[in-house]
Amino acid sequence: MEQSSTLGVIVVGTGFVADSHLAALRSRADAHLVGVVDVAPERAAATARAQGGVRWSTDLAEALSWPGVAAAIVCTPNDTHSALARQIAGAGCHLLIEKPLATSVADARAAADAFATAGRVLAVAHTHRCYDYARAVRRAITSGEVGRPRLVRLSVLGGWIWPDWRGWMLDGRRSGGHALHNGVHLLDVVTWWIGCPPVSVFARGHKQTSSELDIYDHLEMVVRFEGGAVAVCEMSRGHRPATLAMRDVFVQGTAGLLTLPWDADASLLIDERGPGLLPTVASDGFARQLDAWLAALHGTAPPVDGHDGVLAVALGVAAERSIVAGAPVSVADVLATEPREVPA
Amino acid sequence: MSAPLGVLLAGFAGLGPAQDHQAEMYLPAFADHPGFTIVAVTDADGTTDALRERSRSAAVRLGVPYDDELSKALARPEVDVVSVCVPLTDRMATTTAALATGRHVLVDKPMTLSAQECDAIAAVAADTGSVCLPAHHWRFHPAIRSAAAAVAAGRVGLPWNVQADFLVAGGPPSPLGELANFAVYPLDVIRVLTGLPVTQVFTYGEVDDVAVLSLSHERGMTSTVTVGRGPALDGGPGVALHRYRISGSHGLLAVDTARPAYTLRTATGRRNGWVGSDTVTALVDELHSAIRSGRQGTVAPTDARAAAAVVEAARLSAEFGRPVSLKEADG
Ligand SMILES: NC(=O)c1ccc[n+]([C@@H]2O[C@H](COP(=O)([O-])OP(=O)(O)OC[C@H]3O[C@@H](n4cnc5c(N)ncnc54)[C@H](O)[C@@H]3O)[C@@H](O)[C@H]2O)c1
Repeated sequence: MEQSSTLGVIVVGTGFVADSHLAALRSRADAHLVGVVDVAPERAAATARAQGGVRWSTDLAEALSWPGVAAAIVCTPNDTHSALARQIAGAGCHLLIEKPLATSVADARAAADAFATAGRVLAVAHTHRCYDYARAVRRAITSGEVGRPRLVRLSVLGGWIWPDWRGWMLDGRRSGGHALHNGVHLLDVVTWWIGCPPVSVFARGHKQTSSELDIYDHLEMVVRFEGGAVAVCEMSRGHRPATLAMRDVFVQGTAGLLTLPWDADASLLIDERGPGLLPTVASDGFARQLDAWLAALHGTAPPVDGHDGVLAVALGVAAERSIVAGAPVSVADVLATEPREVPA
Repeated sequence: MSAPLGVLLAGFAGLGPAQDHQAEMYLPAFADHPGFTIVAVTDADGTTDALRERSRSAAVRLGVPYDDELSKALARPEVDVVSVCVPLTDRMATTTAALATGRHVLVDKPMTLSAQECDAIAAVAADTGSVCLPAHHWRFHPAIRSAAAAVAAGRVGLPWNVQADFLVAGGPPSPLGELANFAVYPLDVIRVLTGLPVTQVFTYGEVDDVAVLSLSHERGMTSTVTVGRGPALDGGPGVALHRYRISGSHGLLAVDTARPAYTLRTATGRRNGWVGSDTVTALVDELHSAIRSGRQGTVAPTDARAAAAVVEAARLSAEFGRPVSLKEADG
């Protein structure tokens, strides 16, 4: 296919997660990479070269004016999301934006509203919805076999994958805190599974890797939903060894009990380092996510739209506030009272 | 070899009239144990006729006398041990009456739902030097025992979090709710695994017989406990999910009480077969060792108190909609 007849995409922010999006984009026949943007010129330039010599810039406005640009994938730090999203909506482009949509409800709403106004498609990269495990659990629930979910556990445990003290993820003002940074994945998935509006969050945090952390690398978040269902979401980046990757799911429904234990999708590998798990091959969640977003440009509903993105942010904010308050926090209160922040 | 200890079976009930833990759990374990012999059956005074009928027919089956008054049964010199499985409202009185006569006692769980009553029972037991064993039998599970030993030996370093799930499939719902019915088990196991007392509780409360407890412990440890009863599942009523994950400064331990087990598949179905030792047998065995060696049991009224205090605080938390400290709940 001629490049000009396929969707022109720019990738904004060429750090860690951008690689997964770029890889997914490369395998598409109906979209192509026009260029990349990063405030760090060396990273933008290196990525542009690695992607076969596409254009690069440190200025989003300039990139949005490149010929053929119709869509963007934003992979920048969390606190930059809302302003970048609004700029992209203003330029009339579609957007797949990394989670969380923003670090405050007001900013998330502003971004979602901008796309509604512009009539462009906004999808938020709550990638877990595109993973095999989450889809399988959702299918089991929507098939009716489990009945109405009453009690759900989703634990996702890992170790340290972040940089040193200079990493923006460790700065709550930039990441929104761990509940917004990684917690939103779980909060979004359980809400999707249960299929009812969340009412309240009670959360607790540990600073496990270092007591000097400003964020909580281990989170226990209990969400209550309309109709009484309760979900336990446990998110960890505080476990050791750093390579730990453990997931645990159960759904207690009115008709059945679904369990997806930590060793359900892995083989046992015993090598010179001792026993360990060898995960089975899974589908590429980023490819599936991109596929769903591109399909949404042709009229299907995006997998995670602006509304879902705002709700996930509200849940993350509620969790962060609950940790500080030591008390449950109402989701409606967070959605209602969050002060509107000055746009960046 | 000394003669077997005489056992008086007091009551054939449970938390509600639908349950009969005496017949299902304790009677078979006592009957099989060479160190015990069942000598009589009785009920709490004021027991309903329906429940008395259960006890009477059990006595007939066992070929032992049935005493319609507790005091008559306790006057029998051949009674060394009382297996208390009377309805919850009679447990405190029956247990203290047995202890006061110097008998050793095994009490169905929950021993009582009141921390204060646990203290009162402990005081009577201390006075007479009798062994009083609340039936926290899950702590005797082979996977829990090895886990407790591993944690105590520092294999995961200093524990900072526990996740526990205790879900039962099918069976009649407990009239007092599953929090009152089942929470004692995972609470007791966490206590055995970590030795860290609970300081604060939050729960949204029970909905459709499922609940989540968010607990704070001493030393900054936290735990999350899911507990409840779900629908009947293939394979019959019983424990559907009962697990613990202990995170420590230097490691992680995941314990599933479904193990050790084999799986047997046939043309018509699939079932798990138990490989390990039975927990109620181990409980009764502990009672025997404690009595014979003249020591207190490794599970005691203080353990029942610890669980009861958490459940009491949980009730307040659900009512107030906020975390409740155990001090507050006690005061
Ligand atoms: N969906 C997932 O599974 C997943 C996984 C990891 C990260 N993420 C999300 O992806 C985003 C990026 O995370 P990361 O780990 O790749 O971070 P990173 O620090 O590795 O990369 C961020 C990049 O953005 C650049 N940048 C910063 N501000 C910018 C701006 N205003 N304009 C353009 N570029 C800018 C930085 O120079 C850096 O190169 C975050 O929102 C994170 O939450 C999602």
